[in-house]
Amino acid sequence: MPELLLPGLMMILGAALVPVLPHMIRQIWMLVLIAASAYQCWHIDPGVHLTASVIGFDLILVRAEAITRPFALIFHIAAALNVIYAMHEDSRMTAATGLAYAGAAIAALFAGDFITLFIYWELTAFTSVFLILAGRNPRSFSAAMRYLLTQVTSGVILLAGAVVLVGSGIGIAITALSAETLGGALVLLAFAIKAAFPFVNGWLQDAYPEASVTGTVILSAFTTKLAIYMLALCFAGTHMLIWFGVIMTLFPVFFAVIENDLRRVLAFSLNNQLGFMVVGIGIGTELALNGTVAHAFAHIIYKSLLFMSMGAVLYRTGTAKASELGGLWKCMPLTTIFCIIGAVSISSFPLFSGFVTKSLTIGSAAYEGYFWVWMALIFASAGVLEHSGIKIPYFAFFGHDRGFKVNEAPLSMLIAMGIAAGLCVAIGIAPQMLYSLLPYEVTYKVWDAGHVLGELQLLLFAVLAFAFLIVRGLYPPEIDSTVLNTDWLFRKAAPALWRMMANPVMRLWHAGLATTTRQIGVAMDRGTHISRNNYLISGTATIGAAAGLFLAVFALLLALRYMM
Amino acid sequence: MSDPEETGSKMTPLARNALGVLVVSCVVLTALEFVIHRHAYFETEGRPLFFAVYGFAAFLIVVGGGVLLRKLVMRAPDYYDTQEDNDA
Repeated sequence: MPELLLPGLMMILGAALVPVLPHMIRQIWMLVLIAASAYQCWHIDPGVHLTASVIGFDLILVRAEAITRPFALIFHIAAALNVIYAMHEDSRMTAATGLAYAGAAIAALFAGDFITLFIYWELTAFTSVFLILAGRNPRSFSAAMRYLLTQVTSGVILLAGAVVLVGSGIGIAITALSAETLGGALVLLAFAIKAAFPFVNGWLQDAYPEASVTGTVILSAFTTKLAIYMLALCFAGTHMLIWFGVIMTLFPVFFAVIENDLRRVLAFSLNNQLGFMVVGIGIGTELALNGTVAHAFAHIIYKSLLFMSMGAVLYRTGTAKASELGGLWKCMPLTTIFCIIGAVSISSFPLFSGFVTKSLTIGSAAYEGYFWVWMALIFASAGVLEHSGIKIPYFAFFGHDRGFKVNEAPLSMLIAMGIAAGLCVAIGIAPQMLYSLLPYEVTYKVWDAGHVLGELQLLLFAVLAFAFLIVRGLYPPEIDSTVLNTDWLFRKAAPALWRMMANPVMRLWHAGLATTTRQIGVAMDRGTHISRNNYLISGTATIGAAAGLFLAVFALLLALRYMM
Repeated sequence: MSDPEETGSKMTPLARNALGVLVVSCVVLTALEFVIHRHAYFETEGRPLFFAVYGFAAFLIVVGGGVLLRKLVMRAPDYYDTQEDNDA
């Protein structure tokens, strides 16, 4: 079966039936498709499996690498969790486009050349934009259009990179590239946009929180991790990525402190987590790449879990703003527990998934002697604890009791969150299951007593700092506001610059238009005057004058025709 | 700056208990520093209670940095809901 059908294609094609199926059959249909696709992908071993020659290009339609299987597995798990989470709602558009989006991302994992990748790259953009439109308000519509523009631009740059690579004789096969060549740099830029690198990250925090409750959960899993996967395939060991990654781990933690919308806080947190993965790719050793893949795997689960819990809060209370939430643990105890499990997982507490995965990347920085990188990653870990480990659960479920009297999350949401929470704990307790999927053998001793002690000291003393700030009344209050991000550049700065440059031209145009209009008016008045006096153009001319005028025009036309 | 109801003078019993557990845990972790050997890759890492001090300080720096950043990047909630944005 693996060679008979392109990976992910059955999910893409199967999505076409989703809108016409009754509710329960639709859920079963989607889960069956995901299971069948997972079975197919699991049995695809590393190597080239299907090629085709199209208009002179040798396309590699199906190819797998050592890191493909763990990414394909976690994409399928995420797709299944999304279906379960969204079972309570009857949005056919979200269901269909979510399934097609996941299928396109899975198909892209198996693309062996940049042309094939480009097709799936753009398909992920065009399917996922509907998840943002599902927010069904003017803000989500605007965000969706900006998102689509950014994603399509990334695809166009990828295609341009592919063209340059072909022109320079490197070819279109997805392989290790140098960022110092034009083709490599263009491909890197395309990946960087989707991976939300610094200065091109604004789309993530702009668009994801504007999607529907389930849309944000679906979005959090695929696009950015597909970019991480491609970066690992093409740019492993590219030194500058270490510093890009370091910046990515650091700057979002400061923004997350002051962001009031908790789903946007999680979008900043997502950006921070991608930074750890990019650092691992930049270091490029076996341990570092294991760390990136393991972290991506665990991250998709706990990040989905956190987005699910905030989605449940939004679904029940109608808001995800920290300034309007608090005290929900009394009405939503299970959601609270699941959120806390996600929070301690992302914070890397021992016995949870973040600890056994992120430690590999941080450990690789230490192994390779990158002192300042290591210091930055440890610092960023304390930052993760602040925004995802404490802020999210504290302000939503504890803190100031706002007196909400709402029901617990719907059963489907609880089941999905329960499975995700179970996976976070299972990976944390028995990491060998995940380690066996990694591209290289894991020799790092994650359960070293000294390492566990250091991690617990880092985290619990950071929590102590939080308690100190709260008790002393020094923790900054949550304020309903807009936090400027890099999307400000094209939402405000670029239009303002455009107006500044266009204004002189427009003033000149309007002045010229006014002068011309005035002159035409004068000419027409003069013509009217002449006509009234001489009956040449209008008025009650004599038959002779009219015939004379007609003959004069006719003679002029004949003369012109003769000359031409 | 925090909500007055959350500050030390008006803490709930649950919050007081949680704080007590946290303080005891930190004391235990401090004591374990002198019992368990931590393998250090860097000289700085090998200093006593490095992670405890760094974690505490990092958290304060993150929050303090956020407060400063707020002065630079915080705008009204409807900042983008203007004609300029619609034009963009």
